[in-house]
Amino acid sequence: MDQETVRTICYLARLEIDQNKSEKIQKDLETIIELIGSLQSIDTSDIEPLYNPLEMTAFKHEDLVISDNKKNKFLKNAAESNEDYFLVPRVVE
Amino acid sequence: MSIQFKSITELNELLDNKAISVSELTQESIQLAKKYDELNCFVTLNEENSSKKASSIDRDKKNTSLLSGIPLAQKDLFCTKGLRTTCSSKILSNFIPPYSATVVEKLEDAGSITIGKTNMDEFAMGSSNETSFFGSVHNPWKKGFVPGGSSGGSAAAVAAGIVPAATGTDTGGSIRQPAAHCGITGLKPTYGRISRWGMIAFASSLDQAGPLARSAEDCAILLNSMSGYDSKDTTSLNSDVPNFLENINQSIKGKKIGIIKEFDLSGLDTEVQKRFDESKKAYENLGAEFIEVSLPNISASVPTYYSIAPAECSSNLSRYDGVRFGHRAENTDDLNDLYIKSRSEGFGDEVKRRILIGTYALSSGYYDAYYKKAQQVRRLIKNDFDQVFKSIDLLMTPTSPNSAFKFESKGTQNPVELYLEDLFTISSNLAGLPAISIPHGQVHSLPVGLQLIGNFLREDLLLNAAHVFQQNSDFHNAKPNLENFK
Repeated sequence: MDQETVRTICYLARLEIDQNKSEKIQKDLETIIELIGSLQSIDTSDIEPLYNPLEMTAFKHEDLVISDNKKNKFLKNAAESNEDYFLVPRVVE
Repeated sequence: MSIQFKSITELNELLDNKAISVSELTQESIQLAKKYDELNCFVTLNEENSSKKASSIDRDKKNTSLLSGIPLAQKDLFCTKGLRTTCSSKILSNFIPPYSATVVEKLEDAGSITIGKTNMDEFAMGSSNETSFFGSVHNPWKKGFVPGGSSGGSAAAVAAGIVPAATGTDTGGSIRQPAAHCGITGLKPTYGRISRWGMIAFASSLDQAGPLARSAEDCAILLNSMSGYDSKDTTSLNSDVPNFLENINQSIKGKKIGIIKEFDLSGLDTEVQKRFDESKKAYENLGAEFIEVSLPNISASVPTYYSIAPAECSSNLSRYDGVRFGHRAENTDDLNDLYIKSRSEGFGDEVKRRILIGTYALSSGYYDAYYKKAQQVRRLIKNDFDQVFKSIDLLMTPTSPNSAFKFESKGTQNPVELYLEDLFTISSNLAGLPAISIPHGQVHSLPVGLQLIGNFLREDLLLNAAHVFQQNSDFHNAKPNLENFK
């Protein structure tokens, strides 16, 4: 894993790494990738992946309105909001 | 009268005999939390609301449930309505949930009193509680030593006798390993047994809530209230919940316990091996039979887990963007900059490391090689368990390869060193199986745990086997000397 790959993953994950930590992070990631790379030696041909130990599909329930409008409660946790919306820096000029 | 170190059953007796009121009990529990503040097991105390609820129970005199009036601590990743819930992360350090997790609701509906929220590894990512934004938790048995993680605050609060029981979550061992390091009992139930609704997600296909207490009996009392189908969790199991206390006293004569051939214990500390052999002997004396079994793929559990868990974490933690809740960075140029700065300031190093690994494992060109491959190996591991449980009732291993270690002594140079702490616990999460850790003596003056793994939905048998062991031993009654924490 080179510095360029680390930079790309950081961007995909929307994370910034301190300059003084980047070498250490690169080394850590290499070590972990080496660990998970060890799985390559196991023969998994014709084995279906197991994404969930219960192997069941999600339950569906009827689409009913079951609660009151909790807009204000949810807006209260935002760093910036007005009476209707979460506020973010201007996106469209 | 001190309520410290009392079990739920003992506290019930005191309440029934009017030897103590619920208000007095709650107050004393909170005072203990304050007295042992230096342990750092609580992030937030719930003093005012606890007192109010205690008074109302005293007034109504409705002690109908075994949990009525019992003080409990909740791991700080269960949402608690109106009470700060941080996941021990800077990014949620100001988050006040508008609703409570199903687990919290169920326990509170049964009459228990949430006295506070316990410290943990940030977003439950860690095995030592050292990744918390709010600082490390001390092991009550030895200052400067880790309590294990990620439910380290819950385990320390129970071990110090502040509360009789607490909730935790277990994604790769996060209930069982801290229970082992702190000398208490901790149960990770079957995946789907307990609702995950309102439980802040780390790795959704592995996360499971469970109880930590001083005994298997008290774990059973909590599990009775915590379990059950919840339509709000799409992976919740719609199956009957037995009364876990009903058969807890049954003899285990003739039960077959498997010892996993692939876990070579000869490389471990000889004292860890000795405790294991002694417990094996104790189970033989209780009538159990031991059989060596093979789970050929179990050694691949650690790399499988460290591919799947970070992948799920990178997806789950993408919701923290500084917009709707949680920490938001100041002085940002545009929306993208807001995301990047809020996340970079809000997450700690271990969380960042796992998000990056997960992002890499899920990225185009690597998905098949890492994520899909790990899910295929996961099936092989589960198939191995299915096979052995055809001929045995339980599996037995040490919970952890060693007793608790010193702060900053593991994983600082190489994170994989700390990941190997989870060697014995991870496979049951991958397969969705229930497992329990019970204290079984000490190694170098610190407690160690014995792990029993059960078949799908057999928490009843795990609790039964743990309880009869505890009826015939005294390890679970050992108490740490807390003189150094006053």
